[in-house]
Amino acid sequence: MTSQSRRSPLHDRHVAAGAKFAEFGGWDMPLEYAGGGVIAEHTAVREAAGLFDVSHLGKVEVRGPGAAEFVNRCLTNDLGRIEPGKAQYTLCCDESGGVVDDLIAYLYGDERVFLIPNAANTAEVARRLSAAAPEGVTIEDEHENYAVLAVQGPNSTEVLTALGLPTDHEYMSFAEAKLGDATLIVCRTGYTGEHGYELVVPSADAVAVWDALVAAGEPFGLRPAGLGARDTLRTEMGYPLHGHELSLDITPNEARTGWAVGWKKPEFWGRAALVAEKEAGPGRRLWGLEATGRGIPRADQVVMSGDDAVGIVTSGTFSPTRKVGIALALLDTSTGLDEGAEVEVDVRGRRVAMTVVKPPFVRPSVK
Amino acid sequence: MIPAELRYTAEHEWVGDTDTASVRVGITHFAQNQLGDIVYVQLPEVGAAITAGDAIGEVESTKSVSDIFAPLAGTVTAVNTALVDAPETINESPYGDGWLFEIEPADVADVAALLDAAGYEKLTGE
Repeated sequence: MTSQSRRSPLHDRHVAAGAKFAEFGGWDMPLEYAGGGVIAEHTAVREAAGLFDVSHLGKVEVRGPGAAEFVNRCLTNDLGRIEPGKAQYTLCCDESGGVVDDLIAYLYGDERVFLIPNAANTAEVARRLSAAAPEGVTIEDEHENYAVLAVQGPNSTEVLTALGLPTDHEYMSFAEAKLGDATLIVCRTGYTGEHGYELVVPSADAVAVWDALVAAGEPFGLRPAGLGARDTLRTEMGYPLHGHELSLDITPNEARTGWAVGWKKPEFWGRAALVAEKEAGPGRRLWGLEATGRGIPRADQVVMSGDDAVGIVTSGTFSPTRKVGIALALLDTSTGLDEGAEVEVDVRGRRVAMTVVKPPFVRPSVK
Repeated sequence: MIPAELRYTAEHEWVGDTDTASVRVGITHFAQNQLGDIVYVQLPEVGAAITAGDAIGEVESTKSVSDIFAPLAGTVTAVNTALVDAPETINESPYGDGWLFEIEPADVADVAALLDAAGYEKLTGE
């Protein structure tokens, strides 16, 4: 970690909990906690509940007359598909169709959209929106003004209910709530594949909300979970992580995130390139790989079919749920490789046998 | 946390006596704690002739992989095959059931030349 790394308002709580830290997008964040570890924390989220600090995620306010219409002309997904009070997964592309970032857009109304980009890309997303914004629409980077806490797992509803927080709103919708003196947003979102909530909390209230969740969660098996477990959980779901499955060099067509593109919209950044690529068919496509042999694939390793290099691993890890090595990989479409195909990954000079599968590796239960 | 009767390397491995002519090798408590949950181990072959400093295996956690280095020159005389199905034993018992392999040293004097517990403690700052 460097001296420039930014810290969450919950940093002291993580230190007290014996966390190991790692740098995520310029932020010094907890990787795992003492007495836990990636596997115990991962399992808690699948079977009980986990509490994540994801305050490194960006927060960008877009406000003013026509704010929602403006965002809809820039980002890929169609805000017209959702009502105010709902959130949507969307992409910020460049004109070549590459992905600047993937983000969540909270639609408040015609004049307000709240965006949650990735930590490392927040400034760039805000910059691109600011450069394009019409008169009267303001873009504010509020990165350090809010903490984001995620409560994820089958017991997450019980934990929030114990604190009197709202839980019965639909998947991908949000509600404002009070906890003590804090006003927070409770959103039915997450990135683990489990039923869960993400709370957007003013930074000054973060410690009080964290402490309340830890105390209320104790009878329900809630434990703090680090970003190590968040990565194994999202990889089991096949969810993309920017910088791995999505990047300026990887398009939504390749990454199978075309469902987050409003193809019928007349305008969004990258539209012409993406429509052309969709019609021609992308040169490579994202697949899951599940090890049949022993070994753990890792990002940037080469996927082999016989003597031919047929793709590249974008993320790889050990699946704590399946107890095998799993990977997400971009495979060249010209090879015709499909579900069930047998391939190998070159793991530091050793070939590990893998089967091509369609993610998720573990059944999601987000609703 | 650093057993006094063992010898150590700068690569966070320990070397201990056995009842035979071989010495037993594992990774330290410090090393397993740094790695986190260990989920995969690649061990050398019994009978392999090894040179000090060679990468002869791997220990892999959910988040990273580390080479296992030969602490001494010699011949591999045993490997802990129980780790193949239960690599987490290294986390649970790094100095006991989580041992990795045994080597018959080419020169027994090499063992005494390794770090003692005080030297290793200084290295890790524990």
